[in-house]
Amino acid sequence: MADYDPEMHICDDWISITMPDRETILAAQVAFTACNHWTEIVPGLNSIAVQFDPVEMSPDEAATIVRDQLGGAALASEPSPIMTTIPVCYDKELAPDLDYAASKLGIKADALPSWHQSHTQTVAMLGFMPGFAYLESPEPCPTIGRLAKPRQLVKAGSIGIIGQQSCVYSFDSPGGWPIIGRTPLRLFDPEKAEPALLSAGQAVRFESISREEFESWPRADEE
Amino acid sequence: MSIRVLKAGLQTTLQGAPFSGHRHIGMPAAGAADSLSLALANYLVGKPCGEIAIEITLAEAIFEIDQPSSIAVVGAALYVRINGEDQPHHQTLHLKAGDKLHIGPSRPGCRTYLAISGEIHADRLLGGRSTYLAAGLGGFHGRALKDQDVIALSDISSTKKVERTTPPTLRLRYSDDHVLRVTAGPETDEPHNGILADMCLRPYAIGARANRMGMALEGVPLHTSEASNMPSAAVFPGTIQLPPSGEPYLLGADAQTTGGYPRIAQVIRADRHLIGQLGSGSRVQFVHTTAERATEIYREKISLLSPWLGQINLW
Repeated sequence: MADYDPEMHICDDWISITMPDRETILAAQVAFTACNHWTEIVPGLNSIAVQFDPVEMSPDEAATIVRDQLGGAALASEPSPIMTTIPVCYDKELAPDLDYAASKLGIKADALPSWHQSHTQTVAMLGFMPGFAYLESPEPCPTIGRLAKPRQLVKAGSIGIIGQQSCVYSFDSPGGWPIIGRTPLRLFDPEKAEPALLSAGQAVRFESISREEFESWPRADEE
Repeated sequence: MSIRVLKAGLQTTLQGAPFSGHRHIGMPAAGAADSLSLALANYLVGKPCGEIAIEITLAEAIFEIDQPSSIAVVGAALYVRINGEDQPHHQTLHLKAGDKLHIGPSRPGCRTYLAISGEIHADRLLGGRSTYLAAGLGGFHGRALKDQDVIALSDISSTKKVERTTPPTLRLRYSDDHVLRVTAGPETDEPHNGILADMCLRPYAIGARANRMGMALEGVPLHTSEASNMPSAAVFPGTIQLPPSGEPYLLGADAQTTGGYPRIAQVIRADRHLIGQLGSGSRVQFVHTTAERATEIYREKISLLSPWLGQINLW
């Protein structure tokens, strides 16, 4: 990345850097994390931001450090992401928008689970809530779009999809993505050394489980 | 030893320093919405600026402590009363066991901090103890306090006793009218040039649904282009987003970590604590400054405060 001249915008204590692709964002995140200059390092979909203490460094000094660190960042020659399997129950009680999403995709509702399990997805970024993951599929597909009226309550573990992008809700929260299933996994556990189950750049595949398996899935957070 | 909540008010939470270094996994800052008022209150009971205190929002709250304690109140409260008798803000106060502490409604302003000499018990996670309401994490079981809640306090006998009064020059002026300085945001030139100048032309009123996460700014809508959604990118407390409605949205301490609307401005770090005093109906005038000047202002503010407060960090 030695010749890379990043497009930056500097606010008083954070810098947003526009990025050409996912690989560059991940390489930048690794480079930024390797030093202790930044109080926050936040990947976006086509950008990354770093925050700093304005007593420690001026905006100009921070920008110089960003340039140096991006210059030294190495693009992984062969991305070898860790594969995480997420069990999903597609029971309609847990998947209120299964029919809607299937009709938008032009397939039968029965066929949606196998379609959904057929390709590996990549975690683009986390955001919205602690552990909430935005996923991207490599396969083009019709746009599903968000619900006209967002729900007041989407249950934790719900899988939302709007087309090539999908998401996993980490907490009970309001939400507008059509829901096609739910995982019994806990997406965020503050007691763990790595509280978020997923992280940017990770590869994810989904695996169908029955309603019985969903209900009896061992949950560390319950007594 | 404990403090009992006799009347919790509108939204009373345990807040101290924000969570730091976890925005990449979606964990917001949380922490005191007005970091300077928190620091001033903590100092009056001999504590570091980011210790956990009780943040009280808009309405009156009433407490009772079961052991003799030192306390201090700094913020927008109309009055502070011990057993019905008026007491000063900005001063170390002493409660006997069973005394009733009334903290008045915010008028003007929005939030008040009650610091207590004993250590307030709060749930710990990710190196912090503040309350993050949306996910139910930290603080007192992750939620706002309710009437009759009892919060554990550590024994204060080992804590050094202090008698302090905030110097008048360091006291904030609590108001419903604020001037906040902003730098340009990453998307200031998209949707179009001049949007920051337009935003700084006249004051905005804070909308009815203002909370710790953020607040709509009501006034003359700003012009937006068709492309008013963008790929999600990092946002911070104090970021001003421009949704398609053209009504700017100012993010607060509990702001989510990423957003999909253009980031048209950023409230400078030196002024960010004032966001915690903005409530529904407050007015705010934005003034444009540069990142370089913003850094100077922040450093000046820190050097003004540190002779009194010692090591201080605002967020």
